[in-house]
Amino acid sequence: MTPVIDIRALHVRFGEVEAVAGIDLAADSGRATALLGRNGAGKSTTMKVLAGVVPPTSGTVLVNGHDVATDPLAVKRTVGYCPDVGGLVPRATPWEHLQLTARLRRMPDWEARGRDLLERFELGDVAHRVVGGFSHGMGRRLSVVLAALHEPAVLLLDEPFDGVDPIGVEATLEVVADARARGACILLSTHLRDLALEACGSAIVLRGGSSVAEMDAAELTVEAYRALLD
Amino acid sequence: MRSSTETWSGATADLRHLLRFRSGTVRRPRLTAVAVAVVVGLTVVLAVAPAWITGLPADRARQLEDLLPAAFAGFLLLGIGASMGGGGGRELLPREQAVIHPIGPVTEHLGALVLAPLNLAWLLQAWALLAATALSVGPQGLLGAQAVVVLWLLVATALAQVVGWSVEGTRRTRHGVLVVRTLTVLVGVALLVGQVAGRLDDLVRVLPTTALASSLGDPGWPLVGALLVAVLGVAVAVGAVPARWALSLPPREELRVESGVHEARPAPVARLLGDDLALLRRLDRGSVWRSVGMRRGLIVLALGPALVALGGGLEWDTILILPGLGASGAVLLYGVNAWCLDGRGMLWRESLPVEPARIFDARTLVTAECLVAVSAVPVLVGSVRNGLPSQQVAIALVVCWLVAVVQVLAISMKWSVRRPYAVDLRSPRATPAPHTAMFGYAARLSLVTTLTGMLFVGAAGVDVWWLPPAMGAPFLLWSSVRLVRARRRWLSAPARAEIALTVAAG
Repeated sequence: MTPVIDIRALHVRFGEVEAVAGIDLAADSGRATALLGRNGAGKSTTMKVLAGVVPPTSGTVLVNGHDVATDPLAVKRTVGYCPDVGGLVPRATPWEHLQLTARLRRMPDWEARGRDLLERFELGDVAHRVVGGFSHGMGRRLSVVLAALHEPAVLLLDEPFDGVDPIGVEATLEVVADARARGACILLSTHLRDLALEACGSAIVLRGGSSVAEMDAAELTVEAYRALLD
Repeated sequence: MRSSTETWSGATADLRHLLRFRSGTVRRPRLTAVAVAVVVGLTVVLAVAPAWITGLPADRARQLEDLLPAAFAGFLLLGIGASMGGGGGRELLPREQAVIHPIGPVTEHLGALVLAPLNLAWLLQAWALLAATALSVGPQGLLGAQAVVVLWLLVATALAQVVGWSVEGTRRTRHGVLVVRTLTVLVGVALLVGQVAGRLDDLVRVLPTTALASSLGDPGWPLVGALLVAVLGVAVAVGAVPARWALSLPPREELRVESGVHEARPAPVARLLGDDLALLRRLDRGSVWRSVGMRRGLIVLALGPALVALGGGLEWDTILILPGLGASGAVLLYGVNAWCLDGRGMLWRESLPVEPARIFDARTLVTAECLVAVSAVPVLVGSVRNGLPSQQVAIALVVCWLVAVVQVLAISMKWSVRRPYAVDLRSPRATPAPHTAMFGYAARLSLVTTLTGMLFVGAAGVDVWWLPPAMGAPFLLWSSVRLVRARRRWLSAPARAEIALTVAAG
């Protein structure tokens, strides 16, 4: 059976810089996989390719059977993506963000779920406030809400815990657990090994734009992780 | 311990360091150098060449001389508008980058003064004043006359800065926004009443700029020049006082807007252009009108030329040039880097399942709306002063307006897809691209739209109704080709990814 995420020999170049240098990666439905590695390892670029934002320079990337190079629109309908930086239009409100994502995904009855998610992430009382004045943590929490709103088959969370308070971390872990329970494929990129292990069943370590290890999360001890990074 | 920016020498040194830092980050230094040389060369040509133009009808020459005092005053008025609209003046470094550096208010004040000429309105008005002076004075006494004009440009800029910082300081007080808005409306109403009562010309006659204009070409210009130098020194020094005051207060309006509440509205339904496009347009409109800087800039750009048209008694043939200039000014608020409206949210927007063409169309339509709105006001106000135009002028005006908007739109969307920048437009002092790039944009836009406008001024003077549409057709065709090319580039996934990554990196 073809995995939900199937990456083969992925290369991404930005001019002279090779951000991803031949990654092979597979992830199945009903599983959460942590993507770990140092800064510049290629985690965020891989996530952007999977979200249909950055096209691959070479290689094959299939998401739920759709090729990101030839059918990025279908890929975008399949995934829910929380980008690593910002991810919010500065002068729009959370409700307007939700309204846009729901409209473009043809979700007629999204409001109840939108309200519920905002409450779970403690953003209910700022639902109609412009996000430009949000703290970094509030912005990250809203990005996770936006990624999860349409219950996507593939959930891509890039640094979702960055600068987020414990309530937000708990809510994000719940979103990951819910998605896993309904059979979604989750890819979670983070520097925080402990949270990655808590959220995910397996882990992939990237180094220098390539995948260097794939294992059960439980096997990724501090020493093993450290050794893989160096 | 006193920081180095608390003294004038320290502030000057800091200004030098910051300007050097900014100039080091210029993407294409050779092109920038060429552009600066072209602008300087053009300035010299405009300041000198018209002096040798002969055969100007006596009534036109007298009309030109009569207009100069109002034009001098108009330069000051537009300078005040620019500094008020820009929250005191342009910033040397974007706010997010500046917070880690000990940059004092005097440095900010000097920086705003140095950067003030990198503004389309400033540049065009300066060129117009220099050219009109050369035409009016002739070769005899030209050097002295232009020295006085250049000094006036500097004095007016420094005075405008004093007013700009004072208004910004007032705006940051408890009821400051209300006070500033009330005063602005009162001044506008006073000018309108003055116009209706036919007293604006009397007002212009008693302004010091009338004496200044009559001194042009006079042998006593060194005395006038010395007086202007003294006023300049005082204005620069005095400007530091309101700058310190304004920058010591929190920006209330920005903070209010940043925490603004906008109740939910039902998703728009649009049969003609599609629901997705309607919602995207609404989001983009919000990004423009919820920004303090852009909202203020659009209002200033609409009302500034309108007031000049009203007070300066501009005839229809001059008003024909205003739509192009208004559109050029408006597009410099964000349109030259149109994707910066999304800021860091661009990565998220790019991950949404919508045809890329819809996103391009929404941004183009919203930008076009802004250009049409800004360029309409001076034309409407001009009709208050001049009454309805003749059929020939009306046809030329409509075609010229359409051409200017489409032309500016096509150029700006081309720049937006080719040279995106990561910028944070939360501060009204921020610009959508680095200052040198903005200078290049302003110069090119002003040149293109002024030349186009002048062609239609010529067409308005020939009594052949089909001439303006016939002249407009190739312009519209070429601009449409440009717009289609920009759209095609946006539809290319690698180009779009590059734009998204660049803009979201801010």
